[in-house]
Amino acid sequence: MHSSIDHKDFYEPPGGILIWILIFLELITFGVALIVLIGYSREDPTAYHISRLKLNTTFGSINTVFLLTSGYFMAESLKQFKANHLPRATILLQLTLLGGLSFLLLKGFEYYEKIEHGLTLGHDTFFNFYWLLTGFHVIHVFVGLTILGSILWSLKRARTPLLLEDYEASAAFWHMCDLIWLLLFPTLYLVL
Amino acid sequence: MKLNNTNTLGVLLLLTLCTALFSIFGWGKNGVIAIILILSGVKFLLVAFRFMDMYKAHRLWKLLLVGYLLSFISIVLILLK
Repeated sequence: MHSSIDHKDFYEPPGGILIWILIFLELITFGVALIVLIGYSREDPTAYHISRLKLNTTFGSINTVFLLTSGYFMAESLKQFKANHLPRATILLQLTLLGGLSFLLLKGFEYYEKIEHGLTLGHDTFFNFYWLLTGFHVIHVFVGLTILGSILWSLKRARTPLLLEDYEASAAFWHMCDLIWLLLFPTLYLVL
Repeated sequence: MKLNNTNTLGVLLLLTLCTALFSIFGWGKNGVIAIILILSGVKFLLVAFRFMDMYKAHRLWKLLLVGYLLSFISIVLILLK
């Protein structure tokens, strides 16, 4: 079994203090952007509501399911890694990646739909926020998948053992993508 | 019922379904925006505390997470009032 870390130590939260500083910075950045969007919407609530109705909430809900399920597999993968069940950890990590890729695929369809209808960057202020917020989130998902891909490579092929700290930090980054989406989806797609 | 990763996922998916139903059938009714945001907040905390194991962390991290979430939801609700 991998050596345990005392997560009760303030400087040792699960994943490490650096990743949690990053996570909070990202949550604050996205949070402020969403609040600014809400603030702008108060100038013309009807126009923002009409624009919001053009979003595909079914796609958004399905993407929520993809990310939550992917997060579950990530948590289970880490649990198996800690128990030194590396083959199981590998399979669960692959399922995590599949969930992330499914999210990106559906997001691609959603973006295609928007572009086909002319709802691009510059269409109106709401859609400026939509493209910027979801676009930055997609970039985070790409980065997360790249990190998880490197972890998967290390599990399968690397000669030196993977450190628990690295696995936990990578998992924390992936879950961060989920946390951001759980705030972004209702604010952008549901409440305006 | 003790929460493990599997039943946490079950709860998360159920809350996602509830959010979808509220947004479809509850639009225009009093309080539906607050309900949607609170449901999302509960999901946020479940992911942070269960999937990310933050239930094991120092109390200050837990307070920061809850404080961030409450601040965000409060500001959004105040602006949307």
